[in-house]
Amino acid sequence: MRILKSSSIKSLATCLASLAAATFADAGTLKINGSTTVNLPVAEAAENLRAEKKMDIQVDTQGGSSGGISMLGEGLVQLGMASKHVSADDRAKFPKVTFNEIHIGEDAVALIVAKDVWDGGVHELTKQQVRDIYEGRVTNWKDVGGKAQKIVFLNKEPGRGTWEVFAHWAYGDPKKAPQVSLPEVGGNEETRNKVGSTRGAISQLSSAWADEKKVFALGIKGDDGMAVLPTNENIASHAYPMSRPLFVLTDGEPKGDARVLVDYLLSPAGQALVRKHGYLSLDQLAKPAAGN
Amino acid sequence: MTRFWSIAFSAFAVAFFALLLGIFVVQSIPAWQHSGMGYVTGSRWFFRTHQFGALPMIYGTIVVSGVALLLAAPVGLASAIFTAEYLPRKARLAVKVLIELLAGIPSVIYGLLGILLLRNWIYDLFARFDISSGDTLLTAAVLLAVMILPTVVTLSDDALRGVPGAQRHAARSLGLTRAETICTVSLRQSARGLVSALLLGLGRAIGETIAVFLVVGRQDNNLPERWLSLRPLLESGQTLTTKLGGAEANIAYGDPLHWAAMMGLGLLLLAIVIVTTIGGVWKKVGHDA
Repeated sequence: MRILKSSSIKSLATCLASLAAATFADAGTLKINGSTTVNLPVAEAAENLRAEKKMDIQVDTQGGSSGGISMLGEGLVQLGMASKHVSADDRAKFPKVTFNEIHIGEDAVALIVAKDVWDGGVHELTKQQVRDIYEGRVTNWKDVGGKAQKIVFLNKEPGRGTWEVFAHWAYGDPKKAPQVSLPEVGGNEETRNKVGSTRGAISQLSSAWADEKKVFALGIKGDDGMAVLPTNENIASHAYPMSRPLFVLTDGEPKGDARVLVDYLLSPAGQALVRKHGYLSLDQLAKPAAGN
Repeated sequence: MTRFWSIAFSAFAVAFFALLLGIFVVQSIPAWQHSGMGYVTGSRWFFRTHQFGALPMIYGTIVVSGVALLLAAPVGLASAIFTAEYLPRKARLAVKVLIELLAGIPSVIYGLLGILLLRNWIYDLFARFDISSGDTLLTAAVLLAVMILPTVVTLSDDALRGVPGAQRHAARSLGLTRAETICTVSLRQSARGLVSALLLGLGRAIGETIAVFLVVGRQDNNLPERWLSLRPLLESGQTLTTKLGGAEANIAYGDPLHWAAMMGLGLLLLAIVIVTTIGGVWKKVGHDA
């Protein structure tokens, strides 16, 4: 669940926060912000470091991956969390910042559906079917192998790593994704909760969060007619098409407390946390992801 | 000396507000240049193709807070009449403390209650209307009504208690019943205060972000097809605050036009709040004159 300031004028808050950050940048607190997906292992690692080393760490998930990138860019946090690569656009926005992507694990984006859709017989979709649903050409589950029921697409907010991975897969480039006006969901908890409690719902969600009780991950049917599920093997071998790297981001090489946290995340204990939350640790990957 | 400082601080408050307004006006200039009046009247907001029409969000803000006020006003006024006119003094204070405690609950708590209870309740209650989910304008409005109720009750109660007891006694001694006294004396005399209680409640509803964010569905560009129908209340929507509070503020950073369009939303929100407040104050001054 993302926590927002109740201020109605967020931008003003950002302005004030920049001032505050300039004043208190070295107050000794390690500030972290970004993706709710990466947050799970990082928050637990922070919890452990607080207990073991008495470190002062603040972890937040405002705005998802793009929030993590922009807050690191503005110098409001020392570590960003992102479930996508830092794009060339992002780097151009913050020319003074050297974004350093530190790969801590791998995750997949699943298309998840509510239980009634799953029970209605929809267990997989092709890319074309997903596009048709996303763009509103198909509005009933009976047209894609389910029972007669309205499709409710709850779209991940643009800017979320999850959405970008989805758009990259479905349309080749997030910028080419058609403009749609669907109801939107934000963090992973909200997405799972709302899909689970809405009849005929479908959304994009980190596959580790698909609990197979309230929400179910669909297989992706390729041109060969085979459905590929987001299992660990399929993510590691990249047979499942929507896998993505999980990063913590620093400006240049991590220093001080940030270094301690990064080292912890890359240590066996930290990697165990990555696995514990349902993601793939680095040693589970068939080969290192590109771009790191 | 006191005079000097009071003037200085008033000037400071005014200057701060002017500065705030100025920042929003200046920062949003590119959006106005890009879209003109279409920024306010346009019904399409697609940031990747640089279409910025804020009308659906203005509609969302007005509908959600307006319906919230419609729901909260009768309940709030009736409760205030009960606490101010019927309860003995000690019981009144106890009830007032409880109500004011309600006013202090953080909005994210209300939002979570909305997710856990209210949206499912609305979803099931209106299932026969084929609604898509429990995230609707109505859900947000009901949640806001609950949130602004304490504000409306406690301020209305203060307004009613401000009517001198002597006037009530006079009315009773003329043979009016208690109910008649309330209608002809208390409500009439405190009308201004009651209106400002409602407007302050409305102001809170307009500015509320997180609770609405969690239950309104955040669906862009969803203007109703038929304006005189109640059906659009059962659809997802977007308000000015939920748009500003969403992930788009992060994307907008670095794209001057998109950023200006987001700032413009802040300006529109400020404008709506200013109109509401001036409406209340103007009414007040009008009566005093």
